[in-house]
Amino acid sequence: MTPPPSQAAAPASSWLRSWKFWSVMGGIAALVALFTFGFTTDPKKVPSPLVGLPASSFQVRQLNGTEQLSLAGLRGKPVLLNFWASWCVACREEAAILQQAHLTYEKERGVLRVIGIAIQDKPEPALAFARKYGKTYFLALDNEQGDIGLAYGLYGVPETFFINAQGIIVCKKIGPVTPEWIRDYAERGKTTCDQS
Amino acid sequence: MTPAKFIVALPALLLTALLFLSAARAAPPMTNEEVERRVLAITDDLRCPTCQGLSVKDSEAGFSQQIRDKVRLMVIEGQSDEDIKAYFVARYGEWILRAPKKEGFGLVLWLLPGLAIVAAGGAIFWRMHRRAKAQAAVPASPLAGLTPAQRERLERDLRRFQEED
Repeated sequence: MTPPPSQAAAPASSWLRSWKFWSVMGGIAALVALFTFGFTTDPKKVPSPLVGLPASSFQVRQLNGTEQLSLAGLRGKPVLLNFWASWCVACREEAAILQQAHLTYEKERGVLRVIGIAIQDKPEPALAFARKYGKTYFLALDNEQGDIGLAYGLYGVPETFFINAQGIIVCKKIGPVTPEWIRDYAERGKTTCDQS
Repeated sequence: MTPAKFIVALPALLLTALLFLSAARAAPPMTNEEVERRVLAITDDLRCPTCQGLSVKDSEAGFSQQIRDKVRLMVIEGQSDEDIKAYFVARYGEWILRAPKKEGFGLVLWLLPGLAIVAAGGAIFWRMHRRAKAQAAVPASPLAGLTPAQRERLERDLRRFQEED
């Protein structure tokens, strides 16, 4: 016995024309898009709010020498400010790259200052790391309170900031630097930042 | 006191008065328990930079320890909760806050769950209301709308049908 026409199941085409169907589908699609964005976006890749702002100044004593350094005193020359630690595995990967940047852009051409600040570290292991990987550029330790690291909003190490001659943070690099990244700023005068 | 001595003593008197006034206006010093309570509350609202899904309060990571120490120092210095959070937001971005701010797009995120619940409740109520209305419109029995004559005729036909069967 067939049901009367009014009780029969609505054909699929009528569902497709229903605003309720499309409202529900739209809601589900929006939720899926939101969750997809949320679960696939690394929050640490969100652009740093410090880019475009004056770099926070600090004073440190050299770990591998006797120099006292104030970041504000370096105004007039771009600075490559690298945060590292002796216990950091990825810092080994970039050690030679930073040292080469020091030799090329600081020693030979004098167009850049390379500074390495070790965080959550002790002098002995930090110095041992520097010797092992042949770091000869200016190295210093952050204090126990981590004041410099916190002022620069660090998520971990390595992280590197390129600060222009006016003392403005041009870019922040999370993870090991590459020769291309340094070249873009030190040599090609890149002024934008593709944070990744 | 001669006028000359008074003029000499005036700056000292003014300074003493100013110190007295500023001391009277300053907030009473916080106890250690109050400081710790505020540190716990603020660090519970901050996300650990190096962990997954942990607050600074609950994390033992080095960065979290340093953030807790910094927050404690800022609390002791007399900074407000908002100022302390703003310090970290300025360096880490809104990401550092575990709950979005109740303004701008953050307000949408706060309101969305409530709006979704209200909308779902409204839809269920509307559907139930419509169903109840439709049921009320349908006669209780197929015979309810028949006149006595029609009913008699129908019963007669049914009897005849059963007899023939």
